[in-house]
Amino acid sequence: MEGSKKRILVTGGSGLVGTGIRAAVEMDPRDDEEYFYLSSKDADLTDRQATLEAFKKIAPTHVIHLAAKVGGLYGNMRGNLHFFRINMAINDNVLSIAQELGVKKVVSCLSTCIFPDKTTYPIDETMIHNGAPHTSNYGYSYAKRMIDVLNTGFNQHYKTQFTAVVPTNVFGPADNFNLEEGHVLPGLVHKVYTCKKNNTPLMVWGTGKARRQFIYSKDLGRLFIWVLRSYEETQPIILSVGEEDEISIKEAAELVAKGFDFEGGFEYDLTRSDGQYKKTASNAKLRRYLPDFKFTPIGQAIRETCEWFTANHETART
Amino acid sequence: MKVLVTGGSGLVGKAIEYVVNSEGTKDGEEWFFATSKDADLTDAKSTNDLFEKHKPTHVIHLAAKVGGLFGNLKSNLEYFQKNMAINQNVLESAHQHDVQNVVSCLSTCIFPDKTSYPINETMVHNGPPHTSNYGYSYAKRMVDVLNKGYNGDHGRNYTSVIPTNVFGPDDNFNIEVGHVLPGLIHKVYNAKHNGSSFTVWGSGKPRRQFIYSRDLARLMIWVLRNYTETDPIILSVAEEDEISIKEAAEAVVSAMDFKNPLLFDTNKSDGQYKKTADNSKLRTYLPDFKFTPFHVAIKETCDWFVANYSVARK
Repeated sequence: MEGSKKRILVTGGSGLVGTGIRAAVEMDPRDDEEYFYLSSKDADLTDRQATLEAFKKIAPTHVIHLAAKVGGLYGNMRGNLHFFRINMAINDNVLSIAQELGVKKVVSCLSTCIFPDKTTYPIDETMIHNGAPHTSNYGYSYAKRMIDVLNTGFNQHYKTQFTAVVPTNVFGPADNFNLEEGHVLPGLVHKVYTCKKNNTPLMVWGTGKARRQFIYSKDLGRLFIWVLRSYEETQPIILSVGEEDEISIKEAAELVAKGFDFEGGFEYDLTRSDGQYKKTASNAKLRRYLPDFKFTPIGQAIRETCEWFTANHETART
Repeated sequence: MKVLVTGGSGLVGKAIEYVVNSEGTKDGEEWFFATSKDADLTDAKSTNDLFEKHKPTHVIHLAAKVGGLFGNLKSNLEYFQKNMAINQNVLESAHQHDVQNVVSCLSTCIFPDKTSYPINETMVHNGPPHTSNYGYSYAKRMVDVLNKGYNGDHGRNYTSVIPTNVFGPDDNFNIEVGHVLPGLIHKVYNAKHNGSSFTVWGSGKPRRQFIYSRDLARLMIWVLRNYTETDPIILSVAEEDEISIKEAAEAVVSAMDFKNPLLFDTNKSDGQYKKTADNSKLRTYLPDFKFTPFHVAIKETCDWFVANYSVARK
């Protein structure tokens, strides 16, 4: 590698968070950084040989590792073993190949859904391994937790700087808006869009009482790049709005309705699971590092997402 | 029933072979003890070929990259990666070949470091393991996650056992990477031959429950034939049979008739102070099972080491 230019490989580059990172890089480009966005078209990361070839072609100095087999509540409940095995394979391949090729820093992506189910709130970075995760997605959760174990192992053995971030519920353009496989906010966006067109009431799955902290993918993108450039701990860092910004699914649905200027009524399908009631995370560590970081107000972020979906619904993942 | 035993030449595998040969098998049972010569279990294709060749209906999965305290401290990453590969390959091949039951082997050393005592089967995932061997520990914990996954996704009844510190003939007696009891036996043997004193690493204060490999073998065969839960079962002597490393060293000294001084090197790490396990689940199933008395088991192991010194793993 010539010069001191960073070559940053982003796995899962075409997904929700990858798109958010792209937007953040465009807003704050640096002369010493070049980004390469990998997608499943470029390599099957469960295949070690394919992963090695894709990485060798790019010759990265840094990696942002976002690629994963991901699903919402219902996708996970049906196939925990599958989610575990696929994600273990992807993570093992990406981290070991990165190390082999001399990559010093890899920033992987965990999630607040992997924390112990029985816990006190707010959850913080020290609590990841303190008990079994929620039964609905234990396969995904354990595979993600093992990234933290691998980071510790690689850093101890090879003196690398592998680390991870823990976002709360991410949303934004380029999400998976599929109702069965996607997450709650894109699901609501897709549904309100359809309900407005068909003039039907909105059916919210579950009671609407479950509570979440939502982080806009563009804000997450900006924080991700800051972690890549400046965060040096092995221990992960939670990237989230504050505890006081946690809202109910009902409130989220109301914001989505406003985002589309939808005036129809709401109904609640109580036969559908709520998933975990809450996963309130502390962002105190983030605030110690970045006391002045400003998150996009959630009403505005949701409106932008709704507008993106309206403009792109033909090509959006549904 | 055709039983494949992975890790067949190791401490526990040899004990199972001994019990199967000396106490007889049930009608129609066939046992094959696989070793690293038969397959490289870190390789998916090699593992699959092994299952293709032998077509087992049942598996006792013992193969692992294993080390004592000092072996683990040096390479947690390697212990994690190798054991994850072995375990995923064996369970997936078993599933693909419609194996009815796989009994894997965990360990009490994988439990949470910060915990109340005694530890029981429900506590495996309740906190990070001891830092000395977290790589090995997490890989073993993931066997339990995989068992639940194969059960949830595919209806399989794969399970696992949790022995405490195992010892016996055919152990790894290497002083650097072996476990404490074989290490003590090898050291006393050397000290006897050199006419020197015998030094125990650490303070001698940590406490362990030791289970004789041949008792463990009898229990694992019982689990294979009769235990139907997916959740693990602890296989151990009772809490009151826990002893200190100093007491274990004294038992070896007595069994080998060693007369020189016994010293302690407190510069060396002690590892975890205790890992006291609760064997009440076992006692609910087998209230009358009799463990070999500790001093008898130690004597048999020391006698085996002396008689087999030239071929013993060290």
